[in-house]
Amino acid sequence: MAVNAERPNTAPLLPPRSETGVVGWVRENLFGDWFSGVLTVLSLVVIVPFLWFGLRWMILDADWTVISTLGGRMIIGQYNTEGACPGQNCFWRPQVALLLTTALLGMGWGYSGARTMKRVALGVAVILTILAFLPYDFETMGWDVRLLLLANPAAVLAGWYVGCRTPMGSGRGIVISGVLVFVLTLVLLRGLPGVPGLQPVNVGDWGGLMLNLLLAVTGIVLSLPLGIALALGRRSSLPVVKLLCVVFIEVFRGVPLITLLFMSNVLVPLAFPEGFPLSRLVRAGIVITLFSAAYMAENVRGGLQALHPGQAEAARSLGLPGWQTTIFISLPQAIRNVIPAIVGQFIALFKDTSLVYIIGMLDVVEISRAFIQGNPQFIKSAHELFIFLALVFWIFTYTMSYVSRRIEENLGVGTR
Amino acid sequence: MAEREGTPENEDIIVCRDVHKWFGDFHVLRGITTTIRRGEKVAILGPSGSGKSTFIRTINRLEEHQRGEIIVDNVALTNDIRNIDHIRRDVGMVFQSFNLFPHLSVLQNITLAPIRVRKRPRAEAEEQANELLERVGIPEQAGKYPAELSGGQQQRVAIARALAMQPKIMLFDEPTSALDPEMIKEVLDVMRELAHSGMTMLIVSHEMGFAREVADRMLMFDEGTIIEQATPEEFFNNPQQERTKEFLSQILG
Repeated sequence: MAVNAERPNTAPLLPPRSETGVVGWVRENLFGDWFSGVLTVLSLVVIVPFLWFGLRWMILDADWTVISTLGGRMIIGQYNTEGACPGQNCFWRPQVALLLTTALLGMGWGYSGARTMKRVALGVAVILTILAFLPYDFETMGWDVRLLLLANPAAVLAGWYVGCRTPMGSGRGIVISGVLVFVLTLVLLRGLPGVPGLQPVNVGDWGGLMLNLLLAVTGIVLSLPLGIALALGRRSSLPVVKLLCVVFIEVFRGVPLITLLFMSNVLVPLAFPEGFPLSRLVRAGIVITLFSAAYMAENVRGGLQALHPGQAEAARSLGLPGWQTTIFISLPQAIRNVIPAIVGQFIALFKDTSLVYIIGMLDVVEISRAFIQGNPQFIKSAHELFIFLALVFWIFTYTMSYVSRRIEENLGVGTR
Repeated sequence: MAEREGTPENEDIIVCRDVHKWFGDFHVLRGITTTIRRGEKVAILGPSGSGKSTFIRTINRLEEHQRGEIIVDNVALTNDIRNIDHIRRDVGMVFQSFNLFPHLSVLQNITLAPIRVRKRPRAEAEEQANELLERVGIPEQAGKYPAELSGGQQQRVAIARALAMQPKIMLFDEPTSALDPEMIKEVLDVMRELAHSGMTMLIVSHEMGFAREVADRMLMFDEGTIIEQATPEEFFNNPQQERTKEFLSQILG
């Protein structure tokens, strides 16, 4: 076989140089052929006037004073008004709850050491610090409010220290702290009868962005495990379990959330003993959670069905019982595969929380709308207000989608 | 729960009597009767669709047989889930498509079942896993994930994973069919070493050279029945059935 004793020269070559420079890039990417050329021109025809008028309006014509006038009410609604907690200034209660939350974020960062968590935690700290220096006079925004806001970076760092230097920095520690923060938040906001400074505040008076976030976090944390349970139930071989899960999922998916919220006043109490104290907010929370769980179940089921049957077979052939196969093999892979759909559901849930206006709760959107309605001199400012609201929602949802993308990358979903 | 079968020394580790199985209307297994002795290596051949894979999958109940009797290590395969889990612990299986768990590292793939099913301490299970990786020739891959390994390496991990349960029987369902030719040898080497260690092995494979070298007995499947069984010597040199001759001439070219 000694045809050619020397191997041909196969030293690696550099890739061919592409056309460089702006002109080269434009020619290649925007006017590659006549069709892309036409598309480019058409896009410019649409985008340029939009940007031109949009930017001109934002910079020259828009009047953003409506935002500063509404101010803190967007964040906590009518929580700190005389009607909600008479004779007492309780701005500090949501703020302490916020401090606990940022400390928890810091803890997550310290424990995981992940760049994503670091960015989120520091981003929140920076935004809250900026809020502390808003150019209000001290009459409108007191030094106490500002100081509590400025404590947030410290809380993040304290959380970070706990997360990476103490025994609390473990998966279990984070979960326990999370539950603790959640309970403390509710206690702080609700108040305790008879405790000075913690005068009870009617849950119906909770509002603003705080209300949206509370409902969203509750819904997210509860609907994921519930959805997983429903998905497993729907795939169960026990006919009764399966039927119940199918009925539950199809009912809650088949009815608009807005209808469910209407019905929450009537239907939810039926599931509890008579006279059981259930506020509007709790009923709404239950309905939102169940609604989201039904969608979650279908996402997870999709992930389970996409698994290669060989995975479960391999696990069973090793003698793993069915439930261990589900917990250690099927679910981790299924959930990993449907992270985009699950996060999509979380985002939808967060946006849907503003539907609680239906049952008379003043979330951030409703309180803004009510403000405009009640103050006709601001009617012209509705544009500015709702654009601002859109931006606020977008910041939260984009953060969620950013975090989920990073989680996907870290788990190597795409590269399997 | 255990039914006594076979000779007093338990020489027969697998006993199949008139095993039938249907997929819907399709009659896959049409009365399989055979007995496999402890330590025996049996190679199973046959055209695709002849039921050979289905047959070895009935032995650890990945497929349920609908008629007849299968007794594995003195335990009859019935619907009793405890029996099935008991048998699966003692019967290792290696699949054509490896079926490693992609979300777990190589080490975790191997230690999962010993820790969860055999309740062995983690440190002990990991030590054993490292020994097994040594045995299959890839001790340096313990920390990697399956996707980072070549096909041959993945299949060797799959063999190590099955061996970690210290099975009495190993089932191989076309273990080299999904591999590049260069990688077939490394997997067959591991299987050869395993055969020499005295393991009872059932191997569905088209690797004729390997079967001839390692097997004590050849089973020829066609249309859901065993049409011929013989020692490799006899089987390759003097096949009795027309169908076997035809099959061998096609496979050996």
